[in-house]
Amino acid sequence: MTVNKPSSGRERVFSKRRAALLAGCAATAALTLTACGGGATGTTTKDGFAQAPQKDGALTVWVDATRVEAAKLYQQQHPDVKLDIVTYDGDANGSNYLQTKVQLFNRTREGWPDVVFSAQNNEATWAVDAGFAAPLNKGLIPSASLGKFASGANDVCTVGGTVYCLRNDLSQAVLWYNAPLLKKFGYSVPTTWEEYQQLGEKVAKEHPGYLVGDAGDSYTPEIYLWASKCGANHITGPKSVSVNTTSEACTKMARLVDVLIKNKSMSISGVFSTDFGKNQADKVLLMPGPAWYGGAVFKGTFKTPAKQIAAAPIPQWKGDTSPSTGNVGGGTWLLSQHSTHIKAATDFLKWVTTDNAYQGEKAPGFPAYAPAAENWLKGQDASGYFASDLSALKAASSQVWPDWGSGQFSQEAIWAATVKPGMTQGKSIVSLLPAWQDSIVKYAKSNGYKVSQ
Amino acid sequence: MSRSHHRPPRRRSVPHLASRLLTGSVLAAFLAFFVLPVLWLALAATKTDHQLVHDNPLSFGSWHALKANWDALTAFQDNAIMQWLGNSALYAVISLAITLAVAIPAGYALAMTEFRGRHTLLIATLVVMLMPNATLVVPLFLEINAVHLIGTMWSIILPYSFYPFGVYLTYIYFTTAVPKDLLAVARMDGCSEFRVFWHIALPLATPVIALVGFFSFVANWTNYFLPYVMLPESSQMPIQVGVGTLLSNVPSFNPAVGTLAIERPQLALATLVAITPVLIVFLFAQRFLVSGMLAGATKE
Amino acid sequence: MTLTPSSPGSAARRPRGAVRQSRAGTAFVAAYVVLLVAFGVLPTAYAVYFAFTDAGGKVTGFANFTATAHDFRFMDAVSHVAVYLAFWLLSLVVFVVALALLLHRLASGSASKALRFLYYIPGALAGAASVLVWLFMLDPTVSPVSSLLGMSGFHTFGEVIAPGNLPLLFTVIAFWTGAGGWIVVMYGALNNIPTDVMEAARIDGAGAWQTAWHVQIPMLRKWIVYMVILAFAGGAQLFVEPQLLSLASVGVAGRDYSLNQLTFDFAFQMNNINGAAAVSVELLVVSVSAAALFVARSGFFDAD
Repeated sequence: MTVNKPSSGRERVFSKRRAALLAGCAATAALTLTACGGGATGTTTKDGFAQAPQKDGALTVWVDATRVEAAKLYQQQHPDVKLDIVTYDGDANGSNYLQTKVQLFNRTREGWPDVVFSAQNNEATWAVDAGFAAPLNKGLIPSASLGKFASGANDVCTVGGTVYCLRNDLSQAVLWYNAPLLKKFGYSVPTTWEEYQQLGEKVAKEHPGYLVGDAGDSYTPEIYLWASKCGANHITGPKSVSVNTTSEACTKMARLVDVLIKNKSMSISGVFSTDFGKNQADKVLLMPGPAWYGGAVFKGTFKTPAKQIAAAPIPQWKGDTSPSTGNVGGGTWLLSQHSTHIKAATDFLKWVTTDNAYQGEKAPGFPAYAPAAENWLKGQDASGYFASDLSALKAASSQVWPDWGSGQFSQEAIWAATVKPGMTQGKSIVSLLPAWQDSIVKYAKSNGYKVSQ
Repeated sequence: MSRSHHRPPRRRSVPHLASRLLTGSVLAAFLAFFVLPVLWLALAATKTDHQLVHDNPLSFGSWHALKANWDALTAFQDNAIMQWLGNSALYAVISLAITLAVAIPAGYALAMTEFRGRHTLLIATLVVMLMPNATLVVPLFLEINAVHLIGTMWSIILPYSFYPFGVYLTYIYFTTAVPKDLLAVARMDGCSEFRVFWHIALPLATPVIALVGFFSFVANWTNYFLPYVMLPESSQMPIQVGVGTLLSNVPSFNPAVGTLAIERPQLALATLVAITPVLIVFLFAQRFLVSGMLAGATKE
Repeated sequence: MTLTPSSPGSAARRPRGAVRQSRAGTAFVAAYVVLLVAFGVLPTAYAVYFAFTDAGGKVTGFANFTATAHDFRFMDAVSHVAVYLAFWLLSLVVFVVALALLLHRLASGSASKALRFLYYIPGALAGAASVLVWLFMLDPTVSPVSSLLGMSGFHTFGEVIAPGNLPLLFTVIAFWTGAGGWIVVMYGALNNIPTDVMEAARIDGAGAWQTAWHVQIPMLRKWIVYMVILAFAGGAQLFVEPQLLSLASVGVAGRDYSLNQLTFDFAFQMNNINGAAAVSVELLVVSVSAAALFVARSGFFDAD
């Protein structure tokens, strides 16, 4: 063993360190390169956007578990199309999965799906800026087809006059009721909110325990306040919103709900809560709620027997000239700008949103495409579950009040976190309206919205 | 030994009994705390959704309902749950093997040898372990993409294999439980460093190998976010992401899900299926966790 | 085996052994260093780079830090996390050490083994898997412990998840999933205390308390420090528990509760990875400072 050994050792360590450093540099360089490079080579501008060179290959479709059926049916009917069906959570509960992945794909410049279903209807608020959603009314989808969607259905997809997604289903609110029970009690279906309140007060006295509605879910404002034309969520531009929760339209509905909560004819548990399922599910007399309550709540969750549940139009304020209702969710389909199979993708998109084979017959929700909705309603009538026809749904589909938008921030989450805890403590909704406004304004601003109050 | 025999038994046994009672009741109270929710979960899987809400929370449903729940669960996306389990096992086991091969020698070297950069390595390991992971996802994704591994199982396995927690467990184990003198003797006997590690240190390290192996397996098995973000195909998803998918199909958690919903007892059953492998591995590892080897290692 | 008494570090003082050891040490850690650089150092460095730049890669100094600190949720989240940390650290250290000592004293080996297993089981129920469990545990209408909840004055799920109860609830949930693993670690460490040391304590007439306090806990020092460092970082990065409760309550409680939730919100909802990185770096600095304090006080890095 010689003296120079340690020094050579040190040298080796040094050179090793340099090598490590170099490797680090190379990796960083590679990262930056992939982050910035690639992209807009050889694109052709067509249909209103720069299209990537088109190729053969499988069409990648992202759907949630419920919509797998649609993709599979398409595959069955189009055996020659190569389809790669990927299931994901459909962005349920604001998981932001799609947005997260698109952000990553935008950095690596590859990997985007061709067509995506989302259970959220606010994807256009980021997918346009992110350069992901392709414009659909600039050549891809004929305006004749677009015109047959229920009026206002694609408002949530429209940014500056351009349509960036297609609505899958509508969730217009109607008044569900238990027809035999209502008859037994000798009541009639209320047509105005005033009558609705009187009925609630009567039920509280004559049949305590029975319910005329529920105000415990996070989408309560969309059922009641939206229908009452409360201007809590007026999206006036791509990044601007007008918020006013203390107008007469808001307070009179809040007062009504407060009265019914106080006399216990309206529950504050939420229809999917264990409390409601255990103690109140068989006490439902009336229930304002979205179109999907018929299948998901009454038939699916409460297991209410057939021939009991019926639907009527949502009540109006006395003296209101035009009917108006709210809306609770409803999914959307997006087509990727980066798709290299635009023709196949467009074909799939058209089929899945408009074709009777899926939307008219199999879809669980009320189709946004009006001709398919007609067919869907016939199917519901034929199934014999409901005690009435569901024409109220059809009428409501074009009566959704248009001044309640779909921003990037979640109105449902804000209501749940701000108003619901107060309601649990026994505070009135009227007293919580200012705090609600304050919270909406803060969230909107923090999401980069310009807010007018 | 003999001393205690001289003491009058009564003076000792009264406080002894009291302390034993106290010990017993504390352990029992915590037992209830840890086990009751799990017991509820196990029973939930034997009920129908109606029974889950209406029956006594700690009552047994029926074998029939359990079977029905199992059928409904396996029917979800054509038996996807088996695929998820297979994926999880693949990712967790390969990463576990790499972790053990890498972390045990590293922890040993950090504890038992002096080398340049030892301190730096200890500090760097600790620092990256303390880094919140939300922002690490983007760099990791870019890195994996730069080496063209997106879409392969290695995009999950390689990040899993980096397990600083295990390195530290090994490091602390060796510094606290294995006397350096023991290795010094072996070195003087002319053993090479590798032989010292392989023949002296490793046999003494059985408990910590079991510990690192177990925790690594659990960490890999229960990791949600990395595969959720990294993998492009639903057929590659591990069980944790699968349970998340099921969860988003339960109406109580996602009201707008529609009619093809998963019911809560089915979710409970899926959860039980998801945790069973972890518990089996625990029982297996436990046999090695408590080896008495070290306790006597320095005894004359 | 007989050992010749040698002064600590005597091996390292001999130059030949030192070189040999140094080379071997480097070889033993080589593979780990590769993984550490690739999946630890590089991503962390990249995140730090994000924190000080904007979306276009331009250096912005502390702009991301001030911008995120001005988010209306930031200060609330800081105070939430501080309160939670106090609950969490205290409960973890006290109960884990106490339970490990009690289990170690248990005369019946198989009872102790079975209890460790049973205490551990919740550890397998990470994240999404336990949402259902906690929804039902905390809802008085269906909970197996509804009488307990009722005695505490809670009759609806909404009352249980009132804002004031959240730090306690998150501590309970985190302890339920996390404690079992640490109990196993501590128990293993207790087993490694040489029997002669315990024997000596016993012969000296030390009772269980004295043995625990003067012999066992000091010998667990490094393990406890390690647990506290990680528990501190884990607590400061509180995420899973509020997220879980938020899912169970459909957004009523636990949304935007902690700093780490904000980082996710910045990164993936607002497309502001730079702001998210800034908050992450702040959390890292806090955790590393706490760790440095504990390390310095305990001689954690000493090889002996």
